[in-house]
Amino acid sequence: MKKYLYVFRGGDEGYADQSPEQMQAHMQRWGEWMAKVKAEGYPLQQEGKVVGKAGDVITDGPFTEGKEVVGGYVVLDANDMDHAVELSKDCPIFEFGGTTEVREVITEMGM
Amino acid sequence: MDHFFRTEYGKAVSHLTSKFGASNLELAEDSVQEALIKAMQTWPYAQIPDNPTGWILRVARNKMIDQLRRDQKTTQQEVPETTEEMNEDLSLESINDDMVRMMFACCHPSLSQEYQIILTLKILGGLSVREISSSLLKKEETVAKAYTRAKKKFKQEEIKLLLPPANEIEKRLEMVLKIIYLLFNEGYKSAEGEMLIRKELCEDAIRLNRVLLESEICNTPTANSLMALMHFHAARFSARTDENGDIITLENQDRSKWDQNLINQGLFYLEQASDDGGINEYIIQAAISAVHCQAPSFEETNWMEILRLYDLQLQITPSPIVRLNRIVPLEKVHGPHVAYTEIEELEETSFFDEYYLFYAIKSDLLNTLGESSEARVSLKRAIDLTKNEREKAYLKDKLKSI
Repeated sequence: MKKYLYVFRGGDEGYADQSPEQMQAHMQRWGEWMAKVKAEGYPLQQEGKVVGKAGDVITDGPFTEGKEVVGGYVVLDANDMDHAVELSKDCPIFEFGGTTEVREVITEMGM
Repeated sequence: MDHFFRTEYGKAVSHLTSKFGASNLELAEDSVQEALIKAMQTWPYAQIPDNPTGWILRVARNKMIDQLRRDQKTTQQEVPETTEEMNEDLSLESINDDMVRMMFACCHPSLSQEYQIILTLKILGGLSVREISSSLLKKEETVAKAYTRAKKKFKQEEIKLLLPPANEIEKRLEMVLKIIYLLFNEGYKSAEGEMLIRKELCEDAIRLNRVLLESEICNTPTANSLMALMHFHAARFSARTDENGDIITLENQDRSKWDQNLINQGLFYLEQASDDGGINEYIIQAAISAVHCQAPSFEETNWMEILRLYDLQLQITPSPIVRLNRIVPLEKVHGPHVAYTEIEELEETSFFDEYYLFYAIKSDLLNTLGESSEARVSLKRAIDLTKNEREKAYLKDKLKSI
């Protein structure tokens, strides 16, 4: 098993017109997906700062267009990249046009 | 977690509007919506907070205060600081009072009944315009327009989120209960539209009635009577239709499908309602339903008691509809001839010329009396008059058996 990082982007615009009932259903599907793939991670605040050398703030977030904003990330175990992509299949991020970037985490050095 | 977000929406919007005034209703709605989005985006990553209601209320309140501060620069309005006192206001009792105040505001006499219904469903029921339109079988556009106008009126009239003065409580509560019962009936009447959402409308009505009962001044015999009545109806919900969604009449319902738990709760509320021995709009209907719910079968129903209750109802509201509904117990107690005489008298009033149920009942009686060809004529008239496809199918089926 290897570790994979999922970075979730976008999807936020679609949330505004959802009814409370629809939002709850969406949230429940997230919870189910996370439990199923045993994902662990954190959501991120929208606001942030980009810092350059010696702590100079280059810019205040958000850094890019809404659909590029990272909403959260998780780490989970998968056999290989294909399996990791397969596991993302039912992820609710896709329901409102969001995307996830899947990256293998390097856990063993010198390979 | 059933409908948790929807319930919280009603609580939080009521609370914030009580705090910051009816003129800020829209901002309250937006703030609560944002708080729910935040919950949706963050809760799946960790455990749901220990006090999810408090979490949503706090997040929504903070968002609202932030926005009011931003607006303050242009409007010079004063924005209150978050204080200890504000946190104490988040107790269950206090939130319940906020909802009661909101119910009185949504059902304010200066608003039309249509506006009252839409405001109640949107704000207290936490339904979206689309969900309201599908539950009321109206066009989405129509509901959206009505809601905008209703909100405008709400502001124009400067409806305050206050409890009515003691001498008006009864009358105002009557209006709130009427809207609750209308909502329930919208959900209950016939199996049109999306079944699930319509059932939810019934649950919402019961939930709102419960909010009233938890407030001391609204825990009246009338409010308890309506609660009992809705419980008895709801108990029979799943026995009312077959797997195709076709209607099953009371006579043919599988009584083992009736929800005994709801019946028992209904009996409890009916007892509460009967405490003072007074009569109100709903108590007789509730008592009639209670007799039906407790009967082991249609034949073994205590028809004498039901007839007695209808007679009582007639004394209070001598309406043709009550007389029509009284036909069935009248037949059971005094036989089809007596019942048919009553039908003939009712026909002379021409009140029921366009009412399909009248002709369906008349046809039943004629059939019992052996007048099958006349029974058929009457039933055909009923089929022509009903617009509901399921009712039509049911009656057509019946026509074959005469």
